[in-house]
Amino acid sequence: MATSESGTKVDELTRVHVGASRTGAGQQLTATGKAIEVSDLNLYYGSFLAVQDVSMTIQANKVTAFIGSSGCGKSTVLRSLNRMHELVPGARVEGTVTLDGTDIYAADVDPVSIRRHIGMVFQAPNPFPTMSIYDNVIAGVKLNGKRMPKRELDDLVEHSLRGAGLWDEVKDRLGKPGAGISGGQQQRLCIARAIAVSPDVLLMDEPCSALDPISTSAIEDLIAELKTQYTIVIVTHNMQQAARVSDMTAFFNIVETGKPGHLVEYDLTEKIFTQPADKRTEDYVTGRFG
Amino acid sequence: MRIELQQELDRLEADVQELGALVLRALRGAIRALVDQDVELADEVIAFDDEVDRRYQAIEKGVELALARQTPVATDLRLVLAILHDNIHLERIGDQCVTIAKLTKLTSHLEQRDVLIDGFEEMGARAEEMIRIALDSFADRDVARAESLAELDELIDRTNRRVTQHVLALAGDPGAQEWGMRMIVVSRCLERIGDNAVDIGEQTHYVVTGDFREFTDASHPEGREL
Repeated sequence: MATSESGTKVDELTRVHVGASRTGAGQQLTATGKAIEVSDLNLYYGSFLAVQDVSMTIQANKVTAFIGSSGCGKSTVLRSLNRMHELVPGARVEGTVTLDGTDIYAADVDPVSIRRHIGMVFQAPNPFPTMSIYDNVIAGVKLNGKRMPKRELDDLVEHSLRGAGLWDEVKDRLGKPGAGISGGQQQRLCIARAIAVSPDVLLMDEPCSALDPISTSAIEDLIAELKTQYTIVIVTHNMQQAARVSDMTAFFNIVETGKPGHLVEYDLTEKIFTQPADKRTEDYVTGRFG
Repeated sequence: MRIELQQELDRLEADVQELGALVLRALRGAIRALVDQDVELADEVIAFDDEVDRRYQAIEKGVELALARQTPVATDLRLVLAILHDNIHLERIGDQCVTIAKLTKLTSHLEQRDVLIDGFEEMGARAEEMIRIALDSFADRDVARAESLAELDELIDRTNRRVTQHVLALAGDPGAQEWGMRMIVVSRCLERIGDNAVDIGEQTHYVVTGDFREFTDASHPEGREL
């Protein structure tokens, strides 16, 4: 409703009293996520070129969704963003990926350190089954060799579980095994574990595909909260999920089986799902693909 | 692929065209009843609106189901939204025809003036042509033809202004005043039908281009993208 002070008669007729702006008050979360710049990326499995010539800027503190049919290379690109692609024997990378200006594939960069900055949540919840909920959360911190007093660890566990929207559900059973909670809770435990090491970026590879609708909704709500603090990249086969949770969407495609996947279109999610520029994107998002 | 969605879209489009055909019948009936002062036909036009409303509600329900169950996106989403709007515009054209029929009944005992009646026949024919073009260009996704509606609308608007002048000229004729006042409303109804046809044309533009644009806008005569 018009409330400007310009003083037109229409303004006068429609003026209403508006109290303090909702966005002006309340807590301000500090943005700490970082941008990833991908340039001329080629990804190989042995001699097979799996993904060709991908260049894109993944914006800080945004949710970027990778969509595309099976085998189009979206998960391969995702895994290349924290150097997990190279864990496959014979896999190699051409091109550059930089995190906040730092080349993550530079010779002197430790891949383990990169994975601390760029965390990953996988398709199936994978908490350490016999480890307690508490120990699951700090598993990454311990793996990084960080020694902390018990009090600080307690704080970190609570902070991480709160961040993953799980604290209230598990605070009274932190010593119980990680496998003893529901699938949706396990996935949020994995998110808590990922954020406990204070990453800049969270990569999510189909994080809801094994979850029921209620757990999926909880994770989607969580993604919206997490993006204020982290840069998030999510691979999803659920296009409605991409439309719901992401700010930017990248559509990957392959011409035919055996050919490399490539980035067809990358734009604002609202653009991809209302007016995609490329006919192939239109065919995919409208379900007329193939 | 997406056979169910495509079938629903095809069905909804066909329903819109059928509703358009019904509305054209209502318009022809309303003009004929007006010109001939045919009260019986005016009653038929009024009763016929129930059928228009039934079709309107069925399309509305179909759109609701398509959105809820098929979650269309991109061109499909624009088409569903355009169908929703076109449905409303066509239903309103039906309502205008009812108003004309009611005014026909109210004035059936009054003496007509040929000059106005000729104008209404002309406006009715133009409105009919505009509805046809609106429906055809929507079916054909023909943006250029849809845009031509703006010029045709100007012709109806011009006749509407002429009717007002003629009614004002009746001021010295006490016996014609009531009839003249009622006829100004009839003229306004026909003018609004032209506007509704233009609105449908704008939806065609939206479906094809993805941009909604008013073909004519009094506050921005040069046109603007919204």
